[in-house]
Amino acid sequence: MRLTVQKLSKAYGFFWALKDLNLELPPGELVALLGPNGAGKTTLLRLIAGLTPPSLGTIELDSLPPSRANGSARAQIGLFTPAAHLYEDLTVRENLEFFTSLYGQNPGAGNIDAALATVDLSARADGLVSTLSSGMKCRLSIAKWNLLKPGLLLLDEPYGVLDGSGVDLLEEFLKAHCRKGNLVILASHHVSRVLKICSRAIILHRGRMTFNAPRQQPWPDFDKAFQEFLPHGDS
Amino acid sequence: MKLLRETYLVLRKDLVLQVRRRDSLLTMFFFGTLLLFVFHFSFDLVPDRVSELAPGLLWLAFLFTGTLGLAQLFGAERENQCLDALLLSPLDRGALFLAKACLNFTLMLLVELVITPLFWILFNLQTWNLVPQVFFIALLGTVGFCVLGTVMSALTLRARARELLLPLVLFPLMIPVILATIQCLAAVFRAGEIGDALPWLRLLIGFDVIFLTLGVLVFDWVMEV
Repeated sequence: MRLTVQKLSKAYGFFWALKDLNLELPPGELVALLGPNGAGKTTLLRLIAGLTPPSLGTIELDSLPPSRANGSARAQIGLFTPAAHLYEDLTVRENLEFFTSLYGQNPGAGNIDAALATVDLSARADGLVSTLSSGMKCRLSIAKWNLLKPGLLLLDEPYGVLDGSGVDLLEEFLKAHCRKGNLVILASHHVSRVLKICSRAIILHRGRMTFNAPRQQPWPDFDKAFQEFLPHGDS
Repeated sequence: MKLLRETYLVLRKDLVLQVRRRDSLLTMFFFGTLLLFVFHFSFDLVPDRVSELAPGLLWLAFLFTGTLGLAQLFGAERENQCLDALLLSPLDRGALFLAKACLNFTLMLLVELVITPLFWILFNLQTWNLVPQVFFIALLGTVGFCVLGTVMSALTLRARARELLLPLVLFPLMIPVILATIQCLAAVFRAGEIGDALPWLRLLIGFDVIFLTLGVLVFDWVMEV
């Protein structure tokens, strides 16, 4: 899935959370979206997901606007926020069954079991989500998006509650997802970690894009931008 | 078919959550019963005042308990940003509206099944033969209440004081349903049949059909507000 963003701006009252953002991302890229707090990362993800309307500008997926009325276009966009978007009083299996049905899929018990086994949650399949730890809920979200297979997956700070093996699981999932030609945009403050897996980095600063380039080794331009706009990052 | 399939999916999920939590249903049931007791101690329903007072009292009990249910209608979606998950999915917004309206209707129906006979018992009414007609009219009024209430509940979803705001915006718009239902109920209590209240019954059915259709059509816009 190809993402094209033109002159995208978002204002909250008199405050511009994003201003004049232009972006062209081809399929198969794993994009690291970096920036300090308040840079506009979450706003950008929510705009692309269609959860927030833009003040100005356009967003196109495969040259088509992701219209609110177009359900099949919405099915191609996934938003991964750790420990969110899950019903606490449904079981792990019921959550997966509900969301896969909602996306018009019928994965069958075997596929759901396989997805749960991948994230090491088979033993908790019939337990309520409210009984899971935050890290386990994050693993469940990985299983959910693994089953739904969106063409564009947006991730907002996914590392926060995952343990070491959970992080490895997530990164393996993301790399495999990109290899299939899907686009992934990963917003995180864990700069060194995302730089290891990304194919492109974007830095946002005060609502403006200050850096956007494919990954290189060495990467002097990024280092310069990093020093200027992310001086307290963990790179 | 897609609309009905998605409505069924969301409604089934909501019913499972209601069965597990039981908070909305129990609150509505106890509040409705409490209201009937308050009415019982406040009003002396002698036989010649039944047609004058009973319709209003019964319908008020339904309305107030229903408002409690509406306030909790999107409770499951407010947790864990699940509303975002639904809006992100290819789910038709009309299906979300239908599922939520059906959920509130189901909860109110269960409460009304208990409250209506309790009303007859508490006020020592002898006209048990009127219960089916009263229940039928109350159901039509409940449909109107649920469809408009679901739209208003969604509109106030992101408001800070939504529990306070909801009745304030809902009840003025509900005046046609309230009037029509009470007039129909009064006719039944008075004459044992709809009789001269037939135009009110038509208004009630018209309101139900119009707002049910409008709800499906405009819910996409409502969720964006």
